[in-house]
Amino acid sequence: MLRRELRFLTALWKANLQAAMEYRAAFVAQVVGMMLNNAVYFAIWVVFFDRFGQVRGWQLGDMVLLFAVTATGFGLAAVGFGNVLAMADVIAGGGLDYYLTLPRPVLVHVLASRSRYGGLGDVCYGVLTFALLADAGPSAFARFALGSVLSMVVFVAFMVLVQSLAFWMGSASQLSAQSVNALLTFALYPISLFDGTAKFLLFTILPAAFVGSVPAALVRDFTWPAFAQLAGAAFALLALALVVFHRGLRRYESGSAVRVQV
Amino acid sequence: MAAIRVRDLRKTFAAKRKAAGLRGSLAALWRPEHDTVQAVDGIGFEMEPGELLGFIGPNGAGKSTTIKILTGILYPTAGDVDVLGFVPWQARRDLAFHIGTVFGQRPQLWYHLPAVDTFQLFGKIYELDDAVVRRRIDALADAFDIRHLLLTPVRKLSLGQRMRCEVAASLLHQPRLLLLDEPSIGLDVVAKQRIRDTIRHLNAAEGVGVLLTSHDAGDIESLCKRVIIVNHGRIVYDDKVSTLKRQFLTSKRVEVRYAESMPAGFTVEGTEILKVGKGGYGVKLAFDTRRTPVEAVVARLAAAGTLVDMTIEDPTLEEVIRAIYETARPHAGAGDGEASAAVATAGAVGEPPGAAP
Ligand SMILES: Nc1ncnc2c1ncn2[C@@H]1O[C@H](COP(=O)(O)OP(=O)(O)O)[C@@H](O)[C@H]1O
Ligand SMILES: [Mg+2]
Repeated sequence: MLRRELRFLTALWKANLQAAMEYRAAFVAQVVGMMLNNAVYFAIWVVFFDRFGQVRGWQLGDMVLLFAVTATGFGLAAVGFGNVLAMADVIAGGGLDYYLTLPRPVLVHVLASRSRYGGLGDVCYGVLTFALLADAGPSAFARFALGSVLSMVVFVAFMVLVQSLAFWMGSASQLSAQSVNALLTFALYPISLFDGTAKFLLFTILPAAFVGSVPAALVRDFTWPAFAQLAGAAFALLALALVVFHRGLRRYESGSAVRVQV
Repeated sequence: MAAIRVRDLRKTFAAKRKAAGLRGSLAALWRPEHDTVQAVDGIGFEMEPGELLGFIGPNGAGKSTTIKILTGILYPTAGDVDVLGFVPWQARRDLAFHIGTVFGQRPQLWYHLPAVDTFQLFGKIYELDDAVVRRRIDALADAFDIRHLLLTPVRKLSLGQRMRCEVAASLLHQPRLLLLDEPSIGLDVVAKQRIRDTIRHLNAAEGVGVLLTSHDAGDIESLCKRVIIVNHGRIVYDDKVSTLKRQFLTSKRVEVRYAESMPAGFTVEGTEILKVGKGGYGVKLAFDTRRTPVEAVVARLAAAGTLVDMTIEDPTLEEVIRAIYETARPHAGAGDGEASAAVATAGAVGEPPGAAP
């Protein structure tokens, strides 16, 4: 069964790529643009650490790793499940009709029906900078892949949760955009900067820690308990997202919605 | 066994009121305020396998909502539905393997890809063998005359060409039932006719049942044997198209223009003059084909002067529906028992519409 869904996903991704190849220049611009964008953004931290050496035990190397894992996780989500960034609009605009008439799981089908190739730039950036780290051998790359995929799962699951609010609110695109921003912004800060309530929030309501520092720590030092914690968090969140999405689906109202702006 | 069985189907929408912005959205989440819309209000009908059934009604009548429930897109508020042995909203995926759907206003073909790429993707979605897909595309390319269009990105096709590809795509997996929601919307006369021809052809060739909605009575007239007319979420008519034609599509409206001016008090035998234009050149009139044949009216109009222009119109769907309601209104001493089955609303059948001014 899983094999079948995987074959279907591959076909979807292929179709996305074919569609992107209709506009090659835009494709290249997106990928390269995103890599540069990340590099420029990271340059700020290089300057920062150059002056201060370290923040609460975090050094430049930790930041490189954090950025690499988070960028790769986000990039994988954007390429593989790009509609996770737009699903509220798809729901509110009646766009689920198409998926509901086809014999595939709706959520996966929606998410994977759009690839954002800027994300490919993120992935390239992440992999390249990780390779630049001194100790990046084959086993390190395996840990890196694992960490990035789990980061992706957390990101996708959390965003599905937020976007699904569109079933109840009618529109959740603003909230979703703000959530993406908040999630990534906090994921990309050294976790050692936060404690108390703030830290608690980053492990719960806004699970940025599971997108950034926790997978990064796992890539650095793999331990089974650390893995169990992250994987557990990722799949619990994913299960919750699935339940909420399917609850919402029963309320789905399709197109031509009459929404009165007061 | 019926292909579709619908009993007392109802769907109520809550038209949410919400203030603008995030704050409004959050407020609406806690304390939603609703206006309700009764989109489908107790619809019931059956459709036989292989039947070509038309579902017409004015905009907002509840046609799309009904189709969306039949495909499993929407959950109904109440009622029983059986489509090919499945309850759509419970067995959506199983049902999807056996039905094809086309929403005229919601394209399925990937906009930036050539249609053939979407066909291939659908092959994967429906879990068909590559060889089967190739053969099927080949057959559909002929049936729909789209072979020359298959390799062009869909965004570069005309609406009519695109719609032929859409319908073809919905048939890739050889469904037993095709649900078409306004497949001819926005098409010009020629493209409309082409779509109709193709639909009729594949209904005959593959025996696929077709349920087709339209707000254009012409679609149904030239396609279906049986028609259901819905209005305000209810069925007002469910019978043969031929009966509908004989009963309710009989009052015609004619507009003529003459080269010379018609005298005041101008009349044409067997018709009712609605209006004589300024100067007497243009005349609007109405007649009933059951009492005055079209050819007689045309001959009389031509005899009256030099015709410059002439159009004959069928009654609008709204007029037909009004006539159906009027006919269904209980009358003392109702005659014409033949039509009573035709009218779904309860009550005996009285004078045919437009019989006496
Ligand atoms: N998602 C929705 N939310 C609120 N009202 C809706 C929604 N969809 C349809 N309606 C209302 O339900 C009625 C029937 O709509 P519809 O089934 O689309 O009619 P038709 O297809 O016959 O034109 C209309 O009054 C329409 O405004
Ligand atoms: Mg409609």
